[in-house]
Amino acid sequence: MRFSSGSKSRELLVELTPMIDVVFLLIIFFMVTSEFARDVRAEVELPKLPGEQLEENEEAGVVVNIDEHGNIILNVSEEPVTLEQLRKQLQVFFITDTSTEQRVLLRADRRASAGRLNEVVRVLHEIGVPAARMGTEIPGGLQ
Amino acid sequence: MNRRREARARRRSQRLGVNLTSMIDVTFLLLVYFMVSTVMARQEDQLTSSLQTRDSDATGSQVDFQPQIIEVLSIEGTPSYRLAGRVFTDDRSLESVLSELPHEIGVFVRVHPNVPVGFALAAVQSARNAGFAQVTYVPEK
Repeated sequence: MRFSSGSKSRELLVELTPMIDVVFLLIIFFMVTSEFARDVRAEVELPKLPGEQLEENEEAGVVVNIDEHGNIILNVSEEPVTLEQLRKQLQVFFITDTSTEQRVLLRADRRASAGRLNEVVRVLHEIGVPAARMGTEIPGGLQ
Repeated sequence: MNRRREARARRRSQRLGVNLTSMIDVTFLLLVYFMVSTVMARQEDQLTSSLQTRDSDATGSQVDFQPQIIEVLSIEGTPSYRLAGRVFTDDRSLESVLSELPHEIGVFVRVHPNVPVGFALAAVQSARNAGFAQVTYVPEK
């Protein structure tokens, strides 16, 4: 008895192209989303403290970064802002977006002078922010 | 006869083979990507504190009770904590003293400008560790 080998090979052929397409799309998606996450979080050395260790972290809201030299960074891709610019940008943000309940995360470099942090805190207080969260780095903690 | 059968079987096995090279390539790429991003990302947490300034709010001088105030300042060039006249240079000693104080009225952390941020936030952390729910950050000029 003879079998037609041609039709069998056609049926059993596994097409990998769509899977490769999807995998590449996934890679691109993760790379892009991680870039977005980095855009508001500047490379600063946060104080090595355990923090509040809450099970659920609140939504970050507005992230204000202060680097080692005291530069205030709102977006990594943009230039550092002055105190006056920070005040204006925060006022605009809190007027246009009332859903965030004035949540502010201060990410200050541990080597920076507290004088700069104090100036930012004063600005926040003046525009009516009642409380702020200070970013810390969990000692020895890696995600 | 046997030779013919072997040749046919060899041909069939060649046709049915699935090329997995590209899938393995992609899997390794994914593995490397996740390994790199895992090493780079440091785990972060936060310390919540109320904000007050001395010009606008009562932080000790205008209230009936005597609030607990931690002063974070530089004494002869050394960052130090001062609590009720006692001076500490490390946060652990500060924390042990704070844990013996009443927690109901909260604690104020007055931060002077000439200390590092890390040292100032360690005072907030000590207050939290000592059991204070209400910690207020007061920037000094």
